Amino acid sequence: MEVLTNPNRFFEAKAKGEREEKGAGGGEGKGGGEGERGRGEREQSLKIPALIVLTSGLVGGISLFLMAGVTFEMLRKSQTLPQEALGVVSAVGGVGAFVGAVVSSFVIWVVAAALFFAVSCLFKGEGKFKRTLEFVGYGYIPTIFSGLVSAVLVYNFVSTTQIPVVTNVADPAEIQKALAPLLTSPLLRLSSAVGILFMLWSANIWIFGLKHARNLSTRDAVLTVAIPVAIYILVLLLRNPSSLGV
Amino acid sequence: MRFPSSLSLLFLALLVVGVLVVGVVGLAGSGVSEAQAQVAREEQKTSIQITGYQLTPEVLMPNDLGTVTVTVKNAELAKSVNIKEARLLSKELKVASDSYFNIGRLGHGESLDLTFTLKATACPDGIYYPRVLVKGEDAQNIRYSFPVRVDSTLLTLAVKDVPEDIFKGERARIELAVGNPRPNTATGVKITAVAEKREEAEEEEKGGEGVAGGEGVAGGEELVPSEVFVGALSRDETKTASFNFTPQTNGTRLLNFKLEFKNGENLHSAELSLPLKVTESKKKPELVLTGIEVEPSASGSGIYNYKITGDINNAGLEDANGVVMKIGDAEGVEATHPYKSYFVGLLSPDDFSSFELDVKVSEDRENEGEGTKVPLRIEYKDEDGFLFSKTEYIAIERQQGQRTGSSGVGVGELPLSVVVVLLFVVAVVVGLIAYSWKKR
Repeated sequence: MEVLTNPNRFFEAKAKGEREEKGAGGGEGKGGGEGERGRGEREQSLKIPALIVLTSGLVGGISLFLMAGVTFEMLRKSQTLPQEALGVVSAVGGVGAFVGAVVSSFVIWVVAAALFFAVSCLFKGEGKFKRTLEFVGYGYIPTIFSGLVSAVLVYNFVSTTQIPVVTNVADPAEIQKALAPLLTSPLLRLSSAVGILFMLWSANIWIFGLKHARNLSTRDAVLTVAIPVAIYILVLLLRNPSSLGV
Repeated sequence: MRFPSSLSLLFLALLVVGVLVVGVVGLAGSGVSEAQAQVAREEQKTSIQITGYQLTPEVLMPNDLGTVTVTVKNAELAKSVNIKEARLLSKELKVASDSYFNIGRLGHGESLDLTFTLKATACPDGIYYPRVLVKGEDAQNIRYSFPVRVDSTLLTLAVKDVPEDIFKGERARIELAVGNPRPNTATGVKITAVAEKREEAEEEEKGGEGVAGGEGVAGGEELVPSEVFVGALSRDETKTASFNFTPQTNGTRLLNFKLEFKNGENLHSAELSLPLKVTESKKKPELVLTGIEVEPSASGSGIYNYKITGDINNAGLEDANGVVMKIGDAEGVEATHPYKSYFVGLLSPDDFSSFELDVKVSEDRENEGEGTKVPLRIEYKDEDGFLFSKTEYIAIERQQGQRTGSSGVGVGELPLSVVVVLLFVVAVVVGLIAYSWKKR
């Protein structure tokens, strides 16, 4: 809970604990065995961030699953696929959406950590990548809440909207034309706005995480996180404002 | 020689009386022979004859205009005759043509037709005798009377056959018999169906309820054909004319038929009013729409496409043939491909069929009221091939994400509960971010 309310102290404590462990290991001289055990515990501490990322992926998968349902409903109405094939496609697609959401969460976790690590190098940051990866993982906690809120909004949207009929599903232009009115739904726009808000919250956590993981000043940590995040949000907003919430 | 005196006197007296009687009788007889001779001389001089006449029409009706043609012949064997004047005279009938003057010479054995026009003005039925007066040279005059009959009897129009029960929307065959009780032939006989005036007025008062009810006969006319030409009708002859009546409304209907015919060149008419009671049929096809779904399909700017699907059921007791579903005419509503119309075909009683239609609704139409009503027209034929139609209105709710949806969510509008929750979440997140910076 402290990571949400006071991330600075949380990450400071984490970093301080490691340094103390390292210092204690070097001072004793003979305590190499304990030092090895301490490093082993630190490596195991990636489990918590990984669990957080996994949870975030699963929750995000709910929204994706619901939106996939819209696509399958569209396919069903277009009557281009036989009923049996549609059942298989729906099942595979639903599971695929979940798995895709989880896998992409882990991929984005690593990519984001690498990006922050690289940017922090510009500010002469010090610290291992694994530490950065760990602290960035903690920053995924707000995305769990974001996923829940988005799931509620998307569910509300899916359960009330009228799915358009596309006569030719092989034509991407027609699908885009049919989906265009749906993507401008106020619920989806709101979901996007919520996504951006929670990303800002994550960015806030990452700032303090990077500050202690890479031993940066607050200003440098802010720049390290803000630059990639700002670019990311800007690109998303310019491309499609509603795509953020999905 | 000696005679007895008394006998001699008696004989003498008788002789004198006899001589006197003979003398008187002889004188009288010589006067009659003179008159007879005079007449004979005149007849011998009058060689003009009227050999015949022809009346058209044969029998007039009151106020009818007719013609009479008399044939004048010069019966002289070797001599021509100069005809000075010919005129028609009548007290009861009006002579509508002028007399002939200075006609000219008529050769021996030749004939001449003289035509006069007569009008039966305000004269009762009966037989009248107008006269033709022909004056020739040398006081050769001739008068000739001929009969003209006036009869006001009209042709009769009667109902020959009408179904006992007449049902709304079902064809009923009405047979009329037209008869000619007149003594002459009527020509150009025709029967025309006249629009029912009284019922029309009632329909207007109802504000076109029949149309709003959605049922009607395609083509508009309830009586088919609107006119039947019978032709010539000889005396005491009867012919039949048939009309098909397909009522569109219930209640008492008054059908008016007008009979027109010609007596010569004179047009006459008679009318027949036929009251009919129209009731709802208990067996006719009754097409009912169920399971209607309206789904939005690909839309463009200002145009919204929808796919209407559903089932059409025949809840009646008779077959509906050639059932076709169409999008009706309405402003801003247009049927589109691939299903501008949907052919269902034969729909037996208690049978149903699925259908789908594509419709395009313009933005202007979408802006009207809370939604759009798309007219859905169902057409079918009865066993006689008569086309029937029925219009149902399908309400289209606007697409969510475009305007308003079924949940009441619209542009810039969200449920209050969602807005409150989101505001709370925003406040919490912003608060936590601010708190984290305060505590650093």
